[in-house]
Amino acid sequence: MKKRQFKRISIEIFVIIFSGLAIFFCSTHNESLYKQTIGNVVSVKNGKRESVTDEYNNKDYQTTQTVNLQIMNGKDKGKYVELKNTYSQSGALDQKLNKNQKIFIELHHTNGKLTAVFMYSKRDTYLLMLCWLVIVLLYIMMQIKGIRTILSVTINFILFLIFVQLDVNLNITYFFWLFALSALLFTALSLIIVIGWNRQCAITFVAIVFGTTLGLVIGWSILELTNSQGVHYEALDMATQAPKQLFFAATLIGLLGAVMDAATDIVSTLFEMKENTPNISQKQLFLSGRQVGRAIMGPLINVLFLIFFAETFAMAVLYFRTNNTYSFTFAWTMSLGVVQSLISGIGIVLVIPTASYLCSRLLGGK
Amino acid sequence: MSSISVLIIILFALMTIVGGKQGMVSFFSVALNFFILFITVILISGGFPILGVSLFAGICILAITIYMGNNDERSTNVAFIATVIVMLIMIILIIPFDHMVQIQGFSNEESEEVEAFNLLIGINFESLAIATTILSTLGAIAEASIAVASGLEELIAQNSDITVTQLYKSGRNIGFQIMGMTFNTLFFGMFGGNLALFILLYKLHASFGYYLNSKIFVGESMSVLYSAIAVILVIWITTYLMGRKLNSLQETTADLNKQDKRDL
Repeated sequence: MKKRQFKRISIEIFVIIFSGLAIFFCSTHNESLYKQTIGNVVSVKNGKRESVTDEYNNKDYQTTQTVNLQIMNGKDKGKYVELKNTYSQSGALDQKLNKNQKIFIELHHTNGKLTAVFMYSKRDTYLLMLCWLVIVLLYIMMQIKGIRTILSVTINFILFLIFVQLDVNLNITYFFWLFALSALLFTALSLIIVIGWNRQCAITFVAIVFGTTLGLVIGWSILELTNSQGVHYEALDMATQAPKQLFFAATLIGLLGAVMDAATDIVSTLFEMKENTPNISQKQLFLSGRQVGRAIMGPLINVLFLIFFAETFAMAVLYFRTNNTYSFTFAWTMSLGVVQSLISGIGIVLVIPTASYLCSRLLGGK
Repeated sequence: MSSISVLIIILFALMTIVGGKQGMVSFFSVALNFFILFITVILISGGFPILGVSLFAGICILAITIYMGNNDERSTNVAFIATVIVMLIMIILIIPFDHMVQIQGFSNEESEEVEAFNLLIGINFESLAIATTILSTLGAIAEASIAVASGLEELIAQNSDITVTQLYKSGRNIGFQIMGMTFNTLFFGMFGGNLALFILLYKLHASFGYYLNSKIFVGESMSVLYSAIAVILVIWITTYLMGRKLNSLQETTADLNKQDKRDL
């Protein structure tokens, strides 16, 4: 018995280490799979470090490096090419190149001479290694069951990408509804994977839909009533469609996970209570549901708030360092994140009475 | 009145109606976290050491999120210690990784928004990226840790003779459910936060290779993956610490029993 267990564990350790090495080796030797040209930095010559001071007295340093590259793929494979790269000490939009680093480049043939422009560095190895680490940790902690968690996330991600494609291809005016439909599908899918196809799943689903809709409607009406005063939708990063609708679509999808968390917790606790004490009253069920909700709403709102707010850090620092006032910086970099957190918070809070009420009506006795 | 203040009032009212006193306390914990983050940004912009300020802010945020609104002393203490340990582990993991991946600052997709600025502002954007990643994981690990700790505390309260092995097994079960839900929260938070980016990348016909290598996509994916790692670790460590607490608790009771017998 002991011996068999030992054998199993050593096989597992072998598979884990081997898969890690395999991913590392493959992702560092996959240049031929890319259509874009990749260069390997053979040597770097750093120029003089120059100090730069702007009108706000921010001091920074700039260095121009001459980088010699060997081309790793494509029809110029094996040839050498040189490029110049300027980097700053702060590195907001540029980066320092190091020896043996692989980068994507664009090649130009001018007068028979090969020149190159630096595009972006090769990062796939790190991304894949981090994915590997997550899967290994999940496996060590809960074996195959842990991997199933990934399944739900992966399916939802694929569905999400399909809806993004639909949005771009259909190009409809009121695309918010497209993402609202996707939110319904995400919820249904995740609940079926986590809870299974049964009555509990149906009740949780209805509670989530009601809570979320109510939260968004309240958020939307307040923004309409106050004329969105102090909220700059046009500050939304990378928006290529109507920013206000895009903002609401993003808020809806962003808050879905947290609302699901709250609703599942409440409904499953109440189902368990019903099983333990079959003649429990409606009122008792409602109050217990609210009790569960009370304990989790604070932490859940904090989760979303920290995610939405921390993302604005780099931009906010840039505004502050260039002498913008607190209120101006807040309005243009943080206000959207704060509004998103507030609407999400309203949704999370509202799903608590909705889920408790639904459960108490459907499960409780007279 | 500005939209934000009305929304704040509505949220406060709803939290008080639904959550009572506990809801009110939770509202203030979110508000306090906001002030801490705002001050952190101001201090960083003022030139204070980025990682030091963020570490301090992180510990404050963890303490506020865990201790405000939870009354049970044993489980909150365990949750707090577990989250601080995980935060330190994450810093050790993220610093060398972020240094190699070079995802700091702004991406080409954001260059339009920052082009009006002079970007040579003498702030180390790499440290800033590390600080951002760590702070954004804190909410998720605090939530997961409290959930596991209070779940196990409940188990110990119901059955004080429970063995440590049983506790670890239940910890795994509770942890599994909590993890599934926390992953959902994290990933939907990321989908929602980056909806505009995904649409833009699709419109630009970005290749698969671009997704795997571009600064913005790798950066965003890595911050979710870091959060996932942090959540897994925090469930693990919280369960382990609760087991140790139970062990010492049972030992003291056993000692007391022995002493009682000797006294008799």
